[in-house]
Amino acid sequence: MRDVTFGQYYPAQSPVHRCDPRTKILFLIVYIAAIFTAKNFYGLAACAAVFLFIALLSKVPFGSLLRSVRGVIFLLVFTAVLNLFFYSGETVLWQWKFIKITREGVFYTIFLASRLFLLVTGSAILTMTTTPVSLTDGLESLLYPLKLVRFPVHELALIMSIALRFIPILSDETGRIMNAQKARGADFETGGPIKRVKAVIPVLIPLLVSAFRRADELGDAMDARCYSGSKVRTKYKKLTFALRDLWAFLLGAALLGGVIALRICLPALI
Amino acid sequence: MSRPCGCGRAETIKRMEAIKFENVYFSYDEGEDEKGSFALSGVSLSVEEGEFVAVLGHNGSGKSTLARLTNGLLSPSSGKITVLGMDAGDPKKLFDIRKNVGIVFQNPDNQTVASIVEDDIAFGPENIGVPREEIGKRIDFALDAVGMSAYRNSSPARLSGGQKQRIAIAGVLALLPKIMILDESTAMLDPRGRKEVTDVVQRLNKERGITVLLITHFPEEAMLADRAIVMNRGEIVMQGKPSDILCREEELETFNLALPRPVALCRALRRGGIDIGDALTPEEVAGELLGVLPARGADIPDAGKDAPQAAETAAPVCGDGGQGSVCCRNLVHIYNPGSPFETPALLGVDIDVAAGEFFGIIGHTGSGKSTFVQYLDALLKLPTARKKYKKKKPKKGQPLPPAAVLKVDGFDLTDKTTDFRALRGKVGMVFQYPEYQLFAETVAADVAFGLKNFRDGLTEAETEEAVRAAIERVGLDYEEVKDRSPFELSGGQRRRVAIAGVIVTKPEILVLDEPAAGLDPLGKKEIMQLLHKIHEEWCKTVIIVSHDMDEISENCTRAAVFSDGKVVMEEAPAALFRRGEELAALGLDVPFTAKITECLARGGVHIRSDFTAADFVKRTLEYAGVGAESAAESAADNAGGQDNA
Repeated sequence: MRDVTFGQYYPAQSPVHRCDPRTKILFLIVYIAAIFTAKNFYGLAACAAVFLFIALLSKVPFGSLLRSVRGVIFLLVFTAVLNLFFYSGETVLWQWKFIKITREGVFYTIFLASRLFLLVTGSAILTMTTTPVSLTDGLESLLYPLKLVRFPVHELALIMSIALRFIPILSDETGRIMNAQKARGADFETGGPIKRVKAVIPVLIPLLVSAFRRADELGDAMDARCYSGSKVRTKYKKLTFALRDLWAFLLGAALLGGVIALRICLPALI
Repeated sequence: MSRPCGCGRAETIKRMEAIKFENVYFSYDEGEDEKGSFALSGVSLSVEEGEFVAVLGHNGSGKSTLARLTNGLLSPSSGKITVLGMDAGDPKKLFDIRKNVGIVFQNPDNQTVASIVEDDIAFGPENIGVPREEIGKRIDFALDAVGMSAYRNSSPARLSGGQKQRIAIAGVLALLPKIMILDESTAMLDPRGRKEVTDVVQRLNKERGITVLLITHFPEEAMLADRAIVMNRGEIVMQGKPSDILCREEELETFNLALPRPVALCRALRRGGIDIGDALTPEEVAGELLGVLPARGADIPDAGKDAPQAAETAAPVCGDGGQGSVCCRNLVHIYNPGSPFETPALLGVDIDVAAGEFFGIIGHTGSGKSTFVQYLDALLKLPTARKKYKKKKPKKGQPLPPAAVLKVDGFDLTDKTTDFRALRGKVGMVFQYPEYQLFAETVAADVAFGLKNFRDGLTEAETEEAVRAAIERVGLDYEEVKDRSPFELSGGQRRRVAIAGVIVTKPEILVLDEPAAGLDPLGKKEIMQLLHKIHEEWCKTVIIVSHDMDEISENCTRAAVFSDGKVVMEEAPAALFRRGEELAALGLDVPFTAKITECLARGGVHIRSDFTAADFVKRTLEYAGVGAESAAESAADNAGGQDNA
């Protein structure tokens, strides 16, 4: 009954949701490359335009996308403050002893902040429109060539898939155990850091014991279903590209090409 | 229920032996030669293809070992196992055997590898290299066979226990096995889930000829089989037709197994002087009784007899909510409000529990009962009771929802100034499978955990005294267990320790979510007896959540039925279970005594009881007019199985 979803997936019907996960992963890589290729605001504006377009297309509310920045807000503010005060520029706007704010510094700060913002919110679109399961499938498929160098792609994918499968179970279990210990008077909300760490022990130990027990039973169940990790293994689900994936690739190519052109033709900021 | 015997069967095709054990020994610790350390000692067994065999046995009798040996998860210390003509000891045959012998395990959550049903079912065929198109067909087949085709793209996390087990069965079926082993696959399910699973298994056996080995501790399930095997201490001790095996009371008792409830009832009636044979199902019991009891016209409700029940039924007034009582009005709870995952759980719950009651809460998974129970201990809090609560201005034009009232043991749970810690000291909460919440190094330390949290400034001696009392109260030997690790104890002992850890603060109200879940019938009976003792001596009010209607009728003074986030009935079991049709409409069962009563009524025999086995026996004897009062009483005392209220 509790919230069994996890990650950030936002269920909706949109072309972005329906896109092949591999396309989305590759597109994200191209998008990130474009962000880092951009050396001036024009390039960044192109990235922002693409971001806005996809965000609108995905039907994910902007609020949720903005919220994804929360995780890096400290980094954002910290670098912004450092850059603002210590960037060595020429046009001094304000000075106090050795600290000064320059025109270049302000631009640079805004540039870096927007870059980080676009990066984080752009990645959020991927995780919000792709279920963890298809994300795993996509990664496995993209990593497939690594099998040639004996990289255990399949095992890695299976580990990820099992982890995803057990996240809701274990998070439910954590909730249950916490409730049980709360009912026995455990207090997780008050006290200093040491007290809080101590308070976690009655939750952590049963959780670990249970995780091991589950792993043991799952191992047996997998054995019983003929799992051996052997080479004969086939795969039921095959990802297939559709027309919209082609559009996505074209958009990605256009973005990267455009940003490179802007970088060559227009003066760089950094 | 069981198949007709094989006498009429044309024996033209010689049936192959599906499973054959020849004097098999197995020990979990290699190299030990002592007989006592063998999990299986000298088991010889032969199962024909297409047979349905039930394996019964107490915990540790070796029945799970038997399953694991059959499919090559374990290999025998000595002796020979042949599966479908293949030697199970031959490593080259291992995958051929596993392909043909599917096992479904106990815990529905620990058998699925993928987060989408069809991916999980594909796992087995993928492992053995089935081509892609064929896997699709096998998924269709397997899901259809277990009746879960509609859930192909669901997430297993969102399914009920019974559905999860059916998916596990489908996952095994996709390998097209000839033999299917169910290793206590129903132990963790509610009655509805159990029936879902046993129905599927029966169908697979009858329609597809799959050999079934059903390992269970429910005698009712063993009745579905062609043959029953009873194991004890690694040996096969009984074997035969289930209807025969399940009636051998003394022998079953020696092996720590319970008689099926209907058989126990027949025995009690017979001891009271009604001459009937053993019957295994409520319908058969009714049939037997109709053979000897005279029909006596229509049921004339005896006003005198019903009056006290009616008084019991009337809900107490929601008064001051004093010690030991619960009063709840208009309780609403919605998970993840305002998000795409918004799920309403409680939609205005009204409930009253008076001090001193042994109260039952019934309802399906998802009916809101678990959510409600969490409110009782302030594990969920009403908005008004939260620290950050600010009164919202009512929107114009929208009527205000009725204000929630929640008083538990005299605490007002709608008020944020309430001392919630004190409340939790007074309202004990035992969750499902509480043994999984033990964490401390010793039993004594674990039991003392709650005590130390709630009571400041207790001396060592006082703590020890309280811990000793609690451990002894749950029927364990304090000196013997206090310094042991809780993880060393048996499952039943651990559950007792967990209960001790809650009652150690002597709560006024004790709430238990399915206290008997996962236990065998004897274990269930013991836990319920324990709860009655706790109710008499320690805790004023006991509230249990249960799926087992017999448990409710035998033990509870009143019960509330949850459905879709509301309480739809709240009555004494005697009145509640007379409304069998309404309960059936909600998908809920009635106790087996109520089923017998209904069958009898259709035959013109009207017996009014409160649906406890003891009272049913007493009333039936009165109806039959046999024996003196004393005989009836002694019979009622011996009604076996479950009566101890």
